[in-house]
Amino acid sequence: MRGLLSNRVGSQLAGSAVLFAVLVLGGLAYASGGAPTRDILVTQMLINAIMVIGLQIYIGNTGVLSFGHMGFAAISGYAFALLATSVERKARIVPDMPLGLDGVSLKPVVAAAAAIVITVVVGLVVGLGLARSGAKSGAVAATVITLALLFMVHEVGGAYADLTGGRNGISFSVGRGLDSRLWVFLALIGAIVLARLFKSSRIGRMAQAAREDDLAARAMGINPARGQMVALLLSVAVISVAASLRVFQLGSVAPSTFFFDYTLLTLVMLIVGGRNSIAGSVLGVALMTVVNETTRHLADVEIDGGPADILDILLRPGLTDIVLGGSMLGFMIFKARGLIEDWEVDHWLRKRFGRPEAVPAPLQDAPAPEPAQLSAVDITVDFGGFRALERAGLEASNLEVVGLIGPNGAGKTTLLNVVTGLVEATEGSATLTEQSAGGPEARTITGSEPFEVARAGLARTFQNLRLFPALTVRENVNIATLVASRHRPGGDRPTVEQLLVHAGLWELRDRRARELDYGNARRLELVRAAALSPVYILLDEPTSGMSNVESVAMIDEVRALASAVGAGVVVIDHDLAFITGVCDRIYCLDQGRVIAAGTPEEIHADPQVQAAYLGATAITETR
Amino acid sequence: MIGLLQSLIDGLGRGSIYALLALGIAVIFGVMHMVNFAHGELITVSAYVAFGVIVTAGWAWWAAAPLIFVAAVGTSVAIEFVAFRWVRGSSDFTMLLTSFAVHFLVQAIFVMTMGASVRSFPRPDWADRVWSVGDLNIQVIDVVVIGATAVTMAVTVYLLQRTMFGISLRAAAEDFDAARLMGVRSNKVIRQAFILAGALAGIAAIFFLMRTGQARPTTGLSPLLKGILAAIIGGLGNMQGAVYGGLLLGVSEVLLRSWLPEDLVGITDGVVFALIALFFIFRPQGLLYVRSAERV
Repeated sequence: MRGLLSNRVGSQLAGSAVLFAVLVLGGLAYASGGAPTRDILVTQMLINAIMVIGLQIYIGNTGVLSFGHMGFAAISGYAFALLATSVERKARIVPDMPLGLDGVSLKPVVAAAAAIVITVVVGLVVGLGLARSGAKSGAVAATVITLALLFMVHEVGGAYADLTGGRNGISFSVGRGLDSRLWVFLALIGAIVLARLFKSSRIGRMAQAAREDDLAARAMGINPARGQMVALLLSVAVISVAASLRVFQLGSVAPSTFFFDYTLLTLVMLIVGGRNSIAGSVLGVALMTVVNETTRHLADVEIDGGPADILDILLRPGLTDIVLGGSMLGFMIFKARGLIEDWEVDHWLRKRFGRPEAVPAPLQDAPAPEPAQLSAVDITVDFGGFRALERAGLEASNLEVVGLIGPNGAGKTTLLNVVTGLVEATEGSATLTEQSAGGPEARTITGSEPFEVARAGLARTFQNLRLFPALTVRENVNIATLVASRHRPGGDRPTVEQLLVHAGLWELRDRRARELDYGNARRLELVRAAALSPVYILLDEPTSGMSNVESVAMIDEVRALASAVGAGVVVIDHDLAFITGVCDRIYCLDQGRVIAAGTPEEIHADPQVQAAYLGATAITETR
Repeated sequence: MIGLLQSLIDGLGRGSIYALLALGIAVIFGVMHMVNFAHGELITVSAYVAFGVIVTAGWAWWAAAPLIFVAAVGTSVAIEFVAFRWVRGSSDFTMLLTSFAVHFLVQAIFVMTMGASVRSFPRPDWADRVWSVGDLNIQVIDVVVIGATAVTMAVTVYLLQRTMFGISLRAAAEDFDAARLMGVRSNKVIRQAFILAGALAGIAAIFFLMRTGQARPTTGLSPLLKGILAAIIGGLGNMQGAVYGGLLLGVSEVLLRSWLPEDLVGITDGVVFALIALFFIFRPQGLLYVRSAERV
């Protein structure tokens, strides 16, 4: 048992079972002995839970707010109803049904399966569109595309009466096959397990990284579109199952079955508990079901006689919607991340019952790597009319630490951005030459996507710190190792835990990145880059905002980490003491050109460098 | 040719209202970086105000119009004060959902207090008149709307270009933090943005209601959607783009209605949504978006 709960997947399965049991037993306890309406209510709650978990898979992991998932649900609901309704019934309510559907009547289970296939295919098309639109967390275009889908389906559902029965929809007598609650139970446990495993899967983690910081994720070798697509398809499949069950339970489907009201209800359920948590989704469903029932009972109270007072108005229809809208508003203002943010039952299980974690063995220096060469030649970059770089370049071997200095606006970061694929060079190219079996092999990296450059072995940090704020320290580093295990050669890599110990972040491993102080946040970004097992680590002002003492300490950290993973270093900084201490060779840029290159001593003595840094007049005066 | 001209006039009449709403949405997006899904509620509130004063109190339209305008501005400011002020600077996700919540809340409040049924009020008697010029049939209200919108736009351009208010608003839209450091007060500039957006929505509401003569809890939904779509078509936050987006959307709707085969006319809106989804897939940044490099 203890072994199971120490194991990651084992504890997740156990946690899912706990979650399922609590919700189902709670529901059954409420229903037992009560009126039959309670029975229906509990089934509805369980179906809503499946629906909300479906939403969680997409919205939670990608951070893209979709108003359109009820559009998918509607497609699935209609498909199910059209395929499952008996031929005689169809002849009566939708006699002119096209596509020969009037002669089709499938078993409910088969119809539900067909509905999944149809809906997932639609999801694939929509997903391609979302990817094309550059969907990322909070992106408006993506939200509007999904909203357009919802309205489109709603319009067609209402207007294309031959197929959909128009505003009245399609109602059918409840057949056999899905009527036992067993199917709901099965779908619910399936949805919980799927969502929980996906959240910690490689692709799920990558989607979360892109949610937290799209740019940083791409610079870590992640293609955000991929994680989003997988999340969308899984989510659509789960939604589709829930929609079929809902239609089956209601015995009808109409345009209003899956529209704004249901969107509001499910979204509130999702955010109240915490959209990044499966336990949170279930909690939200349970909580809002209780709240809704309570308000409904309040509203049912008959008030006889007397003049209309405020209570009378408050208890009219609409109260439920006010509670829902109010909850959503309140949570967005006071607790936007929900009650339990991204906590899961298995976190607790592992901590309470699992074995304590052992401190890993210290990290040994990597053997000297095969020599490699990074060269950027004659790079010119124009931003509109402004020339940021003019025939600038650099050469760096992976056995040395190369510095880039220069005054503000000299083009240092732009050069780094060109090399890592974030900025396109107007002219010039950069190549990475590595040793392979058949001698040195050069690879052009300009013109590649940032994630391709990262996979080729260039890991970078950012001037203004781009961590994945809501993820823990360990998860931040873990994402880089997940990319490395897939895309970087070599087998014997340091583990996440070893790297964390090495950087002195071990004690902080379960803290969220956003809770770290500045120095540790810088350190984490450095470790995350190293965890990619790169050929080069490119650092953009690693000491900015640090005190002198901290910068000096950083010299050793950078060197130690570089030799631990066997990577070369290219570093931009203003701090001359730091640069001189850490670098073997230095390039000095001014106004987009390389004005000097050489050892730290040569650079110090160079009159042009002094002029750029101190101003020409200062030089004359000191003479 | 005549048909095309006819569609153009009809479309501009429709599109003017979208443009006024879209401009308001763009102004708010500029200062807060939030797409305001509650913007349509200004029209809903205006509709019930119109119902109240025209039917219940028996006012004439010319007397009701200023009150409708004031109601829209007041509601806009109130919503900012009650809801949006508290989520300023939050993630895009939070702000989107906040405005969505306000949208629902206002709608639910009307369902509760006024009921879900439609309340009709008389439309001004000139609204349905048609001028025939040759083969052209021009609705008087279209001409009035287009004219009023043109005047409103001219005033807005003057405000934005020539007054301290407009300059601080544009500065805040360009770079909120820099504007604050230059002495623009953030609370004030955001409140002013909501006043301007409310005023634009108020004018849109007057003409929208003259045309429909109805109030119900969901009155604002359709114009809201069109306004948001127009704002995004124009390139979110781009005020000029929002206006063009609105006009373009109006004209394309009317053209589509005349081109679509008979049995598809019923789902014109559905087709419009499909086309817009396609548009965003290929140009997510809108028509007039000027790319500014993200600082890394």
